[in-house]
Amino acid sequence: MRAALAVSSLLRNRARTALAVAGIAVATAMLLDMVMLASGMRLSFRDLLDARGFQIRLSPKGTLPFDTEATVGDASALVAAVAAVPGVAVVAPNLGAQLIAPRADGAITVAAIGVVPEVQGDFALRDGRLPQSGEVVASPAALQALSRSLGDTVTIADGWDPQLRTVREAVVRRIVGVGRFYYLGADQPVVALPLSDLQASAQGARADRISSAMVRIAPGRGVDEVAAAIGRTAPRVSVLTTAEAVSQADERLAYFRNLAFILGSVSLAVGFLLIATLMTVSVNERIGEIAVQRAIGVAASRIVQQIVVEGLLLSLLGGVIGLGLGLLTARYLDHILGAFPGLPPEIAFFVFQPRDAFTSLGLLLLAGTFAGVLPAYRAARLPIATALREEAVA
Amino acid sequence: MLHALSALAPLAAALAFQLPPQLPTVALDERMRTDLGLAIGDTVELAAASGAPGQRMVISAFTRRTADPSEVARAEYKVRVHLTDLQALLRYGDRVDRFAVVTHDSSAREAAVRAINARAFGFRAYPSADIAVETGRTFAVINRFHRAIGVITILASAIFLLCIMLLRVEERRREIATLRLIGLSRRTVERAIVVEAAAIAALGAFVGTGLGAVVSAVVNRHYQALYRTPLVFSLVTPDVIALAVALSVVLGLGAGWLAARRLTGRAPLTLLGR
Amino acid sequence: MTVLLDAVNLHRDYAMAADAVHALRGLSVQIAAGDYVAIVGPSGCGKSTLLNLLGALDRPTQGAVRIRGTDVATLDDRAATAFRLTSVGFVFQRFHLLPMLSAEENVALPMAEAGVPREARRARARELLAYVGLAGRADHRPTQLSGGEQQRVAIARALANRPALILADEPTGELDARTGAEIIALFERLNADGTTIVVVTHDDTLAAAARRVVQMRDGAIVADERLRP
Repeated sequence: MRAALAVSSLLRNRARTALAVAGIAVATAMLLDMVMLASGMRLSFRDLLDARGFQIRLSPKGTLPFDTEATVGDASALVAAVAAVPGVAVVAPNLGAQLIAPRADGAITVAAIGVVPEVQGDFALRDGRLPQSGEVVASPAALQALSRSLGDTVTIADGWDPQLRTVREAVVRRIVGVGRFYYLGADQPVVALPLSDLQASAQGARADRISSAMVRIAPGRGVDEVAAAIGRTAPRVSVLTTAEAVSQADERLAYFRNLAFILGSVSLAVGFLLIATLMTVSVNERIGEIAVQRAIGVAASRIVQQIVVEGLLLSLLGGVIGLGLGLLTARYLDHILGAFPGLPPEIAFFVFQPRDAFTSLGLLLLAGTFAGVLPAYRAARLPIATALREEAVA
Repeated sequence: MLHALSALAPLAAALAFQLPPQLPTVALDERMRTDLGLAIGDTVELAAASGAPGQRMVISAFTRRTADPSEVARAEYKVRVHLTDLQALLRYGDRVDRFAVVTHDSSAREAAVRAINARAFGFRAYPSADIAVETGRTFAVINRFHRAIGVITILASAIFLLCIMLLRVEERRREIATLRLIGLSRRTVERAIVVEAAAIAALGAFVGTGLGAVVSAVVNRHYQALYRTPLVFSLVTPDVIALAVALSVVLGLGAGWLAARRLTGRAPLTLLGR
Repeated sequence: MTVLLDAVNLHRDYAMAADAVHALRGLSVQIAAGDYVAIVGPSGCGKSTLLNLLGALDRPTQGAVRIRGTDVATLDDRAATAFRLTSVGFVFQRFHLLPMLSAEENVALPMAEAGVPREARRARARELLAYVGLAGRADHRPTQLSGGEQQRVAIARALANRPALILADEPTGELDARTGAEIIALFERLNADGTTIVVVTHDDTLAAAARRVVQMRDGAIVADERLRP
């Protein structure tokens, strides 16, 4: 009967209850979004790094992979040494460069990645095949920018003179594949070509150099153990496991995590205040009723129970609606942040996990419970005779 | 000259500002003073690649990071050396990556761009503002994000305010009923409630502005320390204050008016529960 | 007649800003089981205060209230509440029904609190509503009932847990003469069926229907007259 009384009390003033539920729903939505934001980036970044099965990344000492234009020389010796480390299954070196691709109205910059096609982890083929010497795999954005299709040829060069409209060291390559490039923005023109082709360009400036390498460890081996061994073998490079990379990314994305924490806390506080205020006013309005219930023998604990249940019901209803609303707003906010230039398409800022929903709802229900406690306690402690007299006078 | 310089090897030196005559000088990122325990007058070795032989240089200055948003999350250090020294270190020869050009005034800028593009083969000149637009795309995204969060916050606040006003006014239903019963018009009672709502909203806006300024200062201090940058992350400007106060007062007034209308629209005896 | 209620030397003082108010000044009264007592007196004489003390709604500053041997004045909140639930039925001037419950649910409320199973309390609630003449109004909300009907529901509620004692504070105070007369008749019937009733009233007709009239003034009993055995 207490639950029925709680529901009846809420239904007595539908407009007020509806408004409170709306307020709690918005607070829950914001809370859910912030919970998703706090962990989303790290999750999707980790998934991105793990996408191709490489657990370790190597880069020039003191840098992060592709964070700078630095390269490592004597690359073939380095790769061989790393491949010989116990526990290493595959080493996939790559070299990044900015090349020029002329077109009718001038030229565009194209990101070029030199890879060893058989072991590379930078792209997945959507169409065609892996490139051999003299061939490239292009991203859809590159094909569109250059008005090319699979099977066409494309001219790529190391330099472009805008006055003379001429290119330096131009070579013609056939497009044999279309690739989805994991670590670059979807709108970025990218071509992948055999590492040796790229190293041979730029008049030898890139000879035997790489920008980074990805390492896949053998099954059953510990990542940290192998990473440490690589570090001892190749002191010229920085060795980064996926976990370390994620943690470095975390540092850079601390702003979003802090924002998530602050806004999430504010949302929770707002939800709490709303329920507390509503319950306080609701109790104040029902002093007489509560006094009568106490007079006819209803225990104080039951009054407390009823009021706390009312607060909980509000939280639950508002919370459930808020979860749905939160998922919608998260999609919208993720769409906004997804427009960051150069952001790989796989990176999401708001990643939903069922655990997030439970966390948000749980926090809100907890807040709703506590919010109802003080007004409930006051109600239960009413001086009954005084309250009845005041009700009679009123 | 934007290649990262790797692995500095600080060499201890007790110098009393007497620079060895042949050693070039370098200005380091101020974070290196604390992170690597360096001081002006120390000698460091800069190399183009890890393990490669380098050039010893003397620290002549520490430079403060600029308030550049695109640099804020980047941990790498920036050092400044004389152009010729860096060209020699990198074996770059007589080459540069870009020039920056200062004109006498903004009107001369366009003419300079045209002249350079007509003459400087292999180069293209751009006004700095055009570059800023490109590099500012990241912050355009962040601005949109902040704006979206702001809209959601305002929506939540509006609902919350309406709810609170409704509750406040309903708490006084007997008072309102009594006033109506003794002959005060609906309009008079509504006006009284709205004035009260305006006062509460104004007071709330005043307190909220103060709180916002404090929080803004805390946010700046926190992130400036976290990222070790002079960049200002949160700025409370007069128009921001004006917008916040105007929104609060309008929302508060609107909520109070709606609540008052709702209650005064009912018969006084109904309000008394008869 | 056996003594059901024995109030001895009751004092109730209220501390006010200027001075203490002595609502009851050493009042003693005994009420026999099955009696029908009306407590009358001018406003402020302490009638309602006495009723609150008898019903363990309030505690005396001094004195004892024994009902079936238990001094209810010494009970803690939990025990006093349990006492009110099972031993006392209250009827108020303003009915005080819960507006969101139907007549049947209002009557059933004390039984639900006492742990009576749903079917049993439904049956008893309907039985009580029939007893007070409202058999066809069980599903009506208080706002759908007249004042007299609401008071009858309140009386049915007071009888829910078969209390030893009914305490009524101005039960006809909000009713017109005709409706009041119906309530008076109901009280007479209740008492004829063995219910012990104590009413506080300004209503002379109600007082005249009682078997005993206790007159109060300034916190003390000034007259105690038995009208009927």
